[in-house]
Amino acid sequence: MTQPQPNMDENRPHHINPFQESWTALLFMLPLLAFLLILIVIPVVGTVLDSLMRDVAFLPKKWIGLTNFQVLLKDAAFWQSTRFTLSFVVVSVPLEVFLGLLIALVLNESFSGRGILRAVVLIPWAIPAAVSGRVFELIYHYSYGAANYLLKITGLSHEPMNWLGTGMGAFIGVVLADAWKTTPFAALILLAGLSAINEDLYKQARVDRAHFFQRMWYITLPLLKPVIVVTLLFRTVMALRVFDVIYVLTGGGPGGATTPLSLFAFRYFSAADFGYGAAASVLLFVIALVFSVLYVKAGRFEEELE
Amino acid sequence: MKEEMIQKALLVCGVTLTILFCLGPFFYMVLTAFGRHPDFLLPGKAYTPTLDNFRVVIFSESIPFMTYLKNSILISAISAVVSVGLVSPAAYAIARLPLPGKAAFLFGALGISMFPEISLISYLFKLMSAMNLVNTYMALILPYIAWTMPLSLWILVSYFSQVPRDLDRAAQIDGASRLQILFKIILPLAAPGVYATGLLAFIFAFNEFLFALMLTIDHSARTIPVGIALFEGFHGQIPWGQIMAGASVASLPVVALTLVFQRRIVQGLTRGAVKG
Repeated sequence: MTQPQPNMDENRPHHINPFQESWTALLFMLPLLAFLLILIVIPVVGTVLDSLMRDVAFLPKKWIGLTNFQVLLKDAAFWQSTRFTLSFVVVSVPLEVFLGLLIALVLNESFSGRGILRAVVLIPWAIPAAVSGRVFELIYHYSYGAANYLLKITGLSHEPMNWLGTGMGAFIGVVLADAWKTTPFAALILLAGLSAINEDLYKQARVDRAHFFQRMWYITLPLLKPVIVVTLLFRTVMALRVFDVIYVLTGGGPGGATTPLSLFAFRYFSAADFGYGAAASVLLFVIALVFSVLYVKAGRFEEELE
Repeated sequence: MKEEMIQKALLVCGVTLTILFCLGPFFYMVLTAFGRHPDFLLPGKAYTPTLDNFRVVIFSESIPFMTYLKNSILISAISAVVSVGLVSPAAYAIARLPLPGKAAFLFGALGISMFPEISLISYLFKLMSAMNLVNTYMALILPYIAWTMPLSLWILVSYFSQVPRDLDRAAQIDGASRLQILFKIILPLAAPGVYATGLLAFIFAFNEFLFALMLTIDHSARTIPVGIALFEGFHGQIPWGQIMAGASVASLPVVALTLVFQRRIVQGLTRGAVKG
C-alpha cells in the first residue's frame, strides 16, 4: 500500500508563486468542501439544534433545552432500543471478525481457483442489505424456510424454530443476516493484513517444527493484532448505525425487541416528531463518534500521510 | 507427511464452508426466483422451474420494479461520476499543492464518513422539502455525492500520490496549468484508481437505503432496494417467488460489476476505507 505524500514542492519552477498555488489548492477543494458542508456538516448541526426543540408537525417550533433528552432517559422503549443496539454490536462484531478471519486465512493460502473464491466472497458484500434482508426473511420462514429445513435435516432440532416471532429468535436472525452481509468486508481487511506478514517467519517456524496451530498462535495472531483491532472498531462504528437489514427483516419486532437506535429515531421522524427523534440520533451520534475516534487512532492513518 | 495432510484437509474444509456460507443464501434466492412454489424444501414438494416470476417482475405494470431499477442505475451512476469528478481536483490539491491543514482535513473527511446516516436524515428531509425536491432524482443524487466523497477522497489521494512527481514538474516547466496537469497527466495515469473509485461510489449509492426510504415517495424516484423492501404483494399471501425475482434483478448490476472488476474493487476498498 502506498502513502499519500503531501509535499511542499521544493523544486518548484521559479515562475510559480506559492501564494497563488495555495489559492489554486483552495479553489480545487471548494466543490468538495461545499458538498460536505451543506449536505453533511450542517445537517448534523441542524439535528443537534433540533434535539433541543419541540419540533412537531402543526405546532410552532419552540426551544425547550434538554427536555427531549430528559424524556428520552425515562422512555422504556428508548432503553430497550439502546440495550438491543449494544447487544447487537457486542455479539455481531466479534462474530463477523472471527468468521472474517477464518475466510481470510483460507484466502491467504495459495491454491488454484483462489481468484474465483475471492470474487465469490464479495457477492454478499455487493448485494444491497435491503435485498439480503428480504432473502433472510424467506430463509427464516416458519413452515418452508431454509433455516428450519437445515435444522431438521441436520437433526439439530425436530421442532421448527419461530425465528422472527420470538425475541431471541429475531435477535439471532438479525445477527446472522448481518454477519452474512458484512463478514466479507472484514475478511478483505484481514486478508490485506495477513498478506503483509513476512513469509520468512513461517519458513523459519517450519524449520523449528512449529505445527500449524503453533504458527497460528505465535506468529499470525500477534502480528495481525493491530489489524484485528482496527477491523473490530470499524465494524463497531458500522454496526452501531445498523438499519436496512433490520428494517426489512423484523421491522424492529417482535414487540420492539430488535429496534436499533436508528430505527427508533426514524419512527419519530416519520411521525414528524423531529425534536424527539433528533435527540435519540444525537445520542447515537455521540456513541458512534467515540468509536470513530478510537478507530482513526488505532488505524494509524497519520503514518500514511508522512 | 501427516501435518501436510491435515493442513490440506483443513483447507478443503475451509474452501467448502466459505463457498457454502457466501453463496448459500444467494443460490436460495435465485432458486426461489426460478421456482413455481417457494415451499420446494418441504418433504413431498417438487421443484418446478418457471420464468413466471421474472415475467411478472419485468413486464407487469402494477409492480414498477423496472422503473425502480432504472431510477437506481441513473441516480447511482450520476452520483458516482459527479462525486469522482468533484473530488479529483481536491485529491490533487491534497496530494500535490501547498495547503495548510491537509492532514486535519483528511481526518475530518474520514470522521464525516463514519457519521450515522440517521443523524442527518431529518435535516436533509426538511432541506429537500423546502427546495421541493422530495421524490425527485436530485433529492438522492445530492446527498449521495456528498456521502461518497470522503471515501473517494481517500482512495484518490492514495492513487494520485503514486504518480511520479517529476511528470508534474516537467509539465509545469513547460508552462502547463495545474488543471491541465490534473487532466492531462494525473487522471490518465491514475485511471485504474479513478475507475475503482467510481465503481465503489456507484455500488455504495446503489445499495443505500435510509436516504432513499425517507426522501422518495413513489416510482418517480424510488430506488430498487426500497422497492423490494416495501413490496408485500396484492393478495395477502406474500409472493416470495416474485420478491426473489425482484431481488435477483436488483442484485444483478452490483454482483456483475463486482465479479468483473473484483481486483480493482478489492484494491480500492483496502486502500480507501481501512488500512492495516
